[in-house]
Amino acid sequence: MSEERKEMFRQLAIYSHVGMTFVLSIFLGLGIGWYLDYKVFDGRTAPWLTFIFLGVGVLAAFKTLWDLYRKLMEK
Amino acid sequence: MEHPILFISLILQALGLPVPHTPVGHTLLEKLCEPYMTYTWMVMIFLIIVPKLTMGKLEIVPGSGQNFWEVVISGLMDIFEENLGKKGARMLYPMMATFSLYIVIANMIGLIPGFMSPTSNWNITLAMTIIVWVTHHALGLRYHGLKYIKHFLGPVPILAPFMLILEIISNLARLLSLSMRLFGNIMAKEILLAVLFMLAGAFFAPLPILCLGVLVSLVQAAVFVLLAVSYCAQAMEPAH
Repeated sequence: MSEERKEMFRQLAIYSHVGMTFVLSIFLGLGIGWYLDYKVFDGRTAPWLTFIFLGVGVLAAFKTLWDLYRKLMEK
Repeated sequence: MEHPILFISLILQALGLPVPHTPVGHTLLEKLCEPYMTYTWMVMIFLIIVPKLTMGKLEIVPGSGQNFWEVVISGLMDIFEENLGKKGARMLYPMMATFSLYIVIANMIGLIPGFMSPTSNWNITLAMTIIVWVTHHALGLRYHGLKYIKHFLGPVPILAPFMLILEIISNLARLLSLSMRLFGNIMAKEILLAVLFMLAGAFFAPLPILCLGVLVSLVQAAVFVLLAVSYCAQAMEPAH
């Protein structure tokens, strides 16, 4: 494989991963919140933990983007 | 989604073994006879026997079989060395090379009628991803000791617990997305092929998807391995 194509594959691996991780972070946060709300606390805290963890999930999603950005800036 | 005909399942059924018709079997024997399990074993046997047959004894002047494997092995080594350095590549080579060869073969056999890709089942891809995930954290702990955990706490002490939760979620998302992507792509290929075969198999309708399937198989295998390698490289790189 030529140098260029190798680099292309590397970039493809990294960037095609970003979108999926972004979306899944949000859903994972939502899922954790929902689980805590309805399974652990039996709905007594609903819907607050769901909202809080949804927010945390969104922040985690942006953090993955931020980490990628920082890694790019280092280069 | 099941393929219409899976020849290993047919053989097992003829032998009187219980082949489950639901995605997951109930008893242990049923679970062992799942198509994705049997085809995984088939790929394993293929990967053990075929290099033995084609390579034979190692010679100084390589024949065609040995030449092929030398190109494959050294090509993979080059890619890993670029990311991991010489020492890291040597250490991780058995695992990563096994992943790449296994995923390529497992993706590719789904294109042949009568076979299915084991990687079109989430259990297989999730298992592989968990191995990668545990390995890269273990490597991080080995190379940095307890300081590795500090990476997850961020620069500000007050925000540390919050950052820890963020990191846990984004790490778990990494686990999910790495497995889901391989599984999703191969599953989509399999379903598309099955549907096109049923709809217009006589008019060669699945042919373009078969061509695309070859591309998808190779690209997804490359992407999985490159991501695994880059996670390990990230965990091993010296702290700043």
